[in-house]
Amino acid sequence: MAPSHTVRILDGNNFVVCEATGDIEATPTEPTGLFSIDTRFLSKWVLTVNGERLNALSYDDLQYYESRFFLVPGLATHYVDAKLSIIRERAVGGSFREHITILNHDEKAVDLDIRMDAGCDFADLFEVKDEILNKKGEIYAEAEPDRLRLGYRRGNFKRETIISSSVPARYDRNGFAYSIHLEPNEQWDTDIDVQTLAVGPGGRDLRFGLQVHGTERLALQHDLEEWIAKAPKVNSEHDKVAATYRKCIVDLAALRFSPLSLGGQTLPAAGLPWFMTMFGRDSILTCLQTLPFTPELSATTLRVLASLQGTRFDDFREEDPGRILHEMRYGESAAFEEQPHSPYYGSVDATPLFVVLLDEYEQWSGDAALVKELEQECRRAFKWIDDYADLVGNGYIWYERRNTDTGLENQCWKDSWDSISYRDGTLPPFPRATCEVQGYAYDAKMRGARLAREFWDDPAYAEQLEREAAALKERFNRDWWVEDGGYYALALDPDGRQCDVLSSNIGHLLWSGIVDDDRAEQIANHLVGPRLFTGWGVRTLAEGEVRYNPIGYHNGTVWPFDTSFCAWGLRRYGFPEEAATIASGILDAARYFDGRLPEAFGGYPREQTKFPVEYPTACSPQAWSTGAPLLLLRTMLGLEPHEGHLAVEPRLPIGMGRIEVLDIPGRWGRVDAFARGRLDLHSLAG
Amino acid sequence: MADAITRFFEDLDQQGYEPLLAKISGALRFDLHEGPQTTHWLVRIDRGSIQVSREDMEADTVVGTSPALFEELVTGRENGLAALLRGDMTVTGDARLVVQVDRIFPGSPYARGPQRYRKGVQ
Repeated sequence: MAPSHTVRILDGNNFVVCEATGDIEATPTEPTGLFSIDTRFLSKWVLTVNGERLNALSYDDLQYYESRFFLVPGLATHYVDAKLSIIRERAVGGSFREHITILNHDEKAVDLDIRMDAGCDFADLFEVKDEILNKKGEIYAEAEPDRLRLGYRRGNFKRETIISSSVPARYDRNGFAYSIHLEPNEQWDTDIDVQTLAVGPGGRDLRFGLQVHGTERLALQHDLEEWIAKAPKVNSEHDKVAATYRKCIVDLAALRFSPLSLGGQTLPAAGLPWFMTMFGRDSILTCLQTLPFTPELSATTLRVLASLQGTRFDDFREEDPGRILHEMRYGESAAFEEQPHSPYYGSVDATPLFVVLLDEYEQWSGDAALVKELEQECRRAFKWIDDYADLVGNGYIWYERRNTDTGLENQCWKDSWDSISYRDGTLPPFPRATCEVQGYAYDAKMRGARLAREFWDDPAYAEQLEREAAALKERFNRDWWVEDGGYYALALDPDGRQCDVLSSNIGHLLWSGIVDDDRAEQIANHLVGPRLFTGWGVRTLAEGEVRYNPIGYHNGTVWPFDTSFCAWGLRRYGFPEEAATIASGILDAARYFDGRLPEAFGGYPREQTKFPVEYPTACSPQAWSTGAPLLLLRTMLGLEPHEGHLAVEPRLPIGMGRIEVLDIPGRWGRVDAFARGRLDLHSLAG
Repeated sequence: MADAITRFFEDLDQQGYEPLLAKISGALRFDLHEGPQTTHWLVRIDRGSIQVSREDMEADTVVGTSPALFEELVTGRENGLAALLRGDMTVTGDARLVVQVDRIFPGSPYARGPQRYRKGVQ
């Protein structure tokens, strides 16, 4: 996706991707631009002085919502002669604002023509990597005395970019310009404001009343400071853990997103820049990872997903009653139903995970009111699991897309087309059932039983759910166990044949609790064994499988989020050393990315590459990668809510030194946790 | 036009309670514009209890659209959120109410829903 030398700033789903000079010149291979509500609002934004492009001396990402570029005119070889400097400072909030400063360092006065070329193709986010040749609507540009209006109209669908300057400018249809005179050592400034509008026929903006916080820079800064102050503090003997943690907290702030239906509350979007929207699976898993640190995200996520839970059958959106959504989008392709994201429901794990998150959230927060508030949604979720997801009629959750045009083939987290295979490398027919989803369903029923007993006053329902969970566990351990491998199959085909490859999904099974106790050790050994564990993390598919490829998206790369749930599972079944082994691998890898873990990195053995090789098109920061270090900290410190208290049972490797987590919020108020590395992991490393 | 729309609102009024709306309260007015004429439907929701009238009264949320599109919505042939994104339906006031009320519109009459697997049958 965006090459790594591009600069990104954002606030919610408003974001800018640009070159190191601050310029924007979008091409299919470099999809730069100013984006909002899944639409590009600027595809060209190029500053020139006397007709010359500028060169970057440096740029700073000051905060996630602001950056600053130091520029000089001319080519790189002219640096030493530069008599002018240009500073561009910009921020995104409700709008995009750029402050331009020009300094004359010469002993002579200068006359300058300053020009900004501005234009927009109004690409839908799903189009940005294509040549955009035939938009179905009409693109227009209107130069007014005090502003430039760029627009796109297709029926009643209208998007506009309004550009204005604090210093009067000459506007034309392709940009705006200034002619200025600067005495020696004089400076010139202007503020440029770029408004993005989604206007309906009545001239009202679709997003009216949606702002989370003030859009002014100071309000954004205040909001970020408050966010950081509210989160627990982490101190570590080795600075890297604390630094990674701080980075994650700031990135989580950046990833907060306020959906249309919630009037300002925020939940974690999936990833920057292309996934700044609500995803059922990503938002829930990120909340599970971050519960000990930022619990308010969970309450919002649960409420939003509940408020959009499916109510009817819709084959295009793959909606069913009780199903939790997969992805919501606001762009042209969703509006005109060229894509199904209004919202799209094609995922089978979000629904059981919704119940899992509600229970976990209650255990931490003690928020009984929310559990009562969402009782009907949980019952509908279970009904979906039992009545609509069991396509084969044998008590498992299956998927087969009904939208064969734009729907997802694989509706589990490994959603690429070739992620599910037999050991011989061939792909199974549909419907398919993947193992981790059965684990989530088991866990959801066990947790749902607790909620029914303690909060919904329905012990009969609790017993029913427990009976169903027990039967599922028994069935699962019979049908999915791969005898000659000593692990669970990745998936079943509709005739019951196992997709008998070794995969990271078995780690999620430990987390869910569906693994029979006498099999847990074999699973643990696989997770830290040479076929799955690279030294950095757990491969999505084991080395030695036909489809294994160290840079195969779901067929061999390491996903930090995936490994973090494997670690949680190991800890749950009493394998703290193994958990600490893979946890410290990921935390070591984080150092190479300045604390910001990418979506995925290569599955090469650690001793071979010495550093984690970033997966080529990975999105960053990505919510569940950002959540991974937080879940790993929880896992290594053994933080567990227990009968209203926070239990702390640290098991850290020796190299980790001392770690303290201060002010962990929960039903206990705020408590601190302290740990010291005592585990010798060398016995496991081989 | 209005048969399907009238039936939808009358059924809703008779139903009196809709569990899918149990978490919301507020008044939502649908303004259906056709040329110079506007038909109003006012839906008052009180934690799931529903009262429908044809009053042109102030509301927390006002939804504007054409009778033709609204008829498609209440018969499941069009999707409310897509219409909203397209600008074919507009909202003023609290957008949450319309997002919730959209959920009680029926599914498509042509939807197949989940299909049970039968060996050898595609």
